[in-house]
Amino acid sequence: MAEYWGIKVEDIFNTMKERFRPEGAKDVSASFGYDIKGEGTWRLTVRNNTMNIEKTDDLAGCAAIMVADGETFVGVNTGKVDGAGAFTSGKVKVEGSLSDFGKTAKMFRKFSPPKKEYTDKDYIQDMFGTIVSRFQPQNCEGLDASIGYDLRGEAGGQWTAVIKDGTCALKNTIEGKPTVRLEVAASDWVRVMMGKIDAMSLLAEGKAAIVGDTSLALKLGQIFAKYTPTWAAPEQELIMLKRTISVNQKFSTGPVMGKFLNSLKEKKIYTNKCPKCGRVHLPAREVCAECRVPATEWITVGPKGQVRYMEYVYYASPDPLTGETRETPYGMGNILLDGCTGNDTFAHLIRRDQIDRIKGGNNEVSGTRVRPVWNETLTGSIHDIKYFEIDE
Amino acid sequence: MAHRKKNRNVGIIGIGQTKYSSHREDVNQPEMINEAVSAALKDASLTMKDVDCIVHGNMELFEMVHQPDLWHTLGTGAYGKDCIRITTGGTVGATIACAADNLVASGMYDIVMAIGFQKLQEGHTTGGITNMADPLWFRHLQTGALTGTKAYDVIKEFGEERAKRASLMYRVIMDKHAGLNSNAHRAFGLEFEQIDDLIKTSPKLVGDLKLIEMCSQSDGACCVIFACEKKAKELSKKPVWVRDHITVHREEVFVMFGYDDRHPFPMTHRFAAEQLYKRNGITSPVDYFDVFEMYDPASWWAVDWLRDFFMLKGDEHLKLVENREIMIGGKIPVNPSGGVIGSNPIGATALIRVAEAALQVRGDAGTHQIPTPVNHALASGFGGTMWTVLMMLEKELNWQGVNNG
Repeated sequence: MAEYWGIKVEDIFNTMKERFRPEGAKDVSASFGYDIKGEGTWRLTVRNNTMNIEKTDDLAGCAAIMVADGETFVGVNTGKVDGAGAFTSGKVKVEGSLSDFGKTAKMFRKFSPPKKEYTDKDYIQDMFGTIVSRFQPQNCEGLDASIGYDLRGEAGGQWTAVIKDGTCALKNTIEGKPTVRLEVAASDWVRVMMGKIDAMSLLAEGKAAIVGDTSLALKLGQIFAKYTPTWAAPEQELIMLKRTISVNQKFSTGPVMGKFLNSLKEKKIYTNKCPKCGRVHLPAREVCAECRVPATEWITVGPKGQVRYMEYVYYASPDPLTGETRETPYGMGNILLDGCTGNDTFAHLIRRDQIDRIKGGNNEVSGTRVRPVWNETLTGSIHDIKYFEIDE
Repeated sequence: MAHRKKNRNVGIIGIGQTKYSSHREDVNQPEMINEAVSAALKDASLTMKDVDCIVHGNMELFEMVHQPDLWHTLGTGAYGKDCIRITTGGTVGATIACAADNLVASGMYDIVMAIGFQKLQEGHTTGGITNMADPLWFRHLQTGALTGTKAYDVIKEFGEERAKRASLMYRVIMDKHAGLNSNAHRAFGLEFEQIDDLIKTSPKLVGDLKLIEMCSQSDGACCVIFACEKKAKELSKKPVWVRDHITVHREEVFVMFGYDDRHPFPMTHRFAAEQLYKRNGITSPVDYFDVFEMYDPASWWAVDWLRDFFMLKGDEHLKLVENREIMIGGKIPVNPSGGVIGSNPIGATALIRVAEAALQVRGDAGTHQIPTPVNHALASGFGGTMWTVLMMLEKELNWQGVNNG
């Protein structure tokens, strides 16, 4: 099994049980499949606030199946790969119901890799792996030198950092006589670089030796930026403050919009018209924007009409009035009410179970005919109409 | 339309951008803005002492911060300076560029710094964008900036297969451009071979608008320094001249999809382009311009809008896309930066179009520089329901013969 960032695909699945959050799985009763290319397929079953995960080829009846390669799967689960980006670019795909699959996000605590014990060898590899990027050319103007690292012991080896013309190159050997040569046990060198022990005491104890230009050895702290292991969390004083606010709002309608909204109480759609160009506004407007004259003539339109275009909405955005995530898919119709012309359509919701039957229209072909469904209590707001349904 | 010749010429002499990203938790808003301001000052070899006025803008409500122009003073350097705040929604970045140009052209200020920013990871983007809609009758329906109408239109006109492929072709080209721009937020490494797969598998958001086709939500800031002709020539080796700009909008309308051909809906993009080219004596914009930085919120809009902005007919705009003429190296490269689909810190987005167009004219766009000479550039802004800003940039100050009054 391949490892990515030291983690196997199986590690993610094998820890699902201990990461399961029953409170995040409330009211979910479904199976979800995971098809990890080159690794196998897994089936997650969630029922009655419990879960089961098994490696199986049988993904029949799954509400949704996630398809990804192993690297992407591990990356997304460990935060190494941006999940939204992987999904957007098609590296992660979801077959079946996307909104159902979204429920799995709340079911599990984040995967955290088991803490790895790093050996001296890991540190030494990491140190020399980053030495060129830690080079500080601005402190090395005119410096033409080579620094040999002769590190003894099991984790040791020989390296030379060659500095010339403001650049630094690393060789995995020591050839000839470098400008300065450091001789020390690899395990001690790791302790020096990690700040656990200072180099002077090693020198004093005779555990380290500097051969050649000693003054250059003393400048190492300026030549290279301080080493921090690539796996260490950055030390930054960053705080993210989180706030949730809920505020009441009110808005004046003015007399024109007021008249329009008031008519809804009588289950009528009453609106105004431009005396110059005849444009019928929906909703009512104070003036015709195109002719710049007051729209003074009032007429009753609809309430039935034809759908000219319907937005078929899959994306579950929050309802701004309630903050609740809308159930998807839903349809938002641009409805040309009887008596209206042009592009002044009336926007409203379409009855959810009918959205697949809606056809848009134009001048030649009528769109699906619809009628409003009114609420029992009428308050003079756009919500007096629950939605439009097919007029049949 | 009343339009006067400029009182004096204006050049862009400094450009600074942050890296665009969804993760700028490492800095607060003034710190982020300061990155762009410092970069622009450095680019222009100026200090804040040289700047006479600051024009500051973002799309209000997203970060939910009161008077950000005051709060950001440490980052903008506006302390003790004239500072003007402008917000016009999605177009704001373009509007602050127009305002800076007007302020310098008028003679009121010699050097004006325009700053656009957005930190979409702070505050509440959905909360902000739903405030776009009239609370009395449309807010409950609002789906942010997502709409499937343009996909519906293009599919109806050109057939499903051709339309969907053109949209994805545009998208992949933008991704390839973004891959060349180290400031871009999103570069996925998409390949043309993926087009058919993405058409099938990318999740739908609204209608045939798919996730892959929609722009990102980014953090970032952009800063552009405008100077009068005298100062620009003194201070800059390569000033980029602002030839003209135009703003067109109409009433706030969210319902305009009646598909009634007896009442054609006036498109502000085409209207703006026609006016601008007419008064500048440009008959074939595709031939005239060497680059176009377009505000492209989604690939469907982008494909369709090419026809409006370049005043093309029939399927000429689709052919530009299909034949990859909009790629770097093509006949008319569009968004060598990767565009809005690649990076979208909204309040900065339209100013980035101007900044990137100017970088192309200067020849300083680095790895996404167009290899052929760029003498004439166009940048656009878009916002609201129907709101267009266009700005024309020139390498040479040689158009005065054209009667643009």
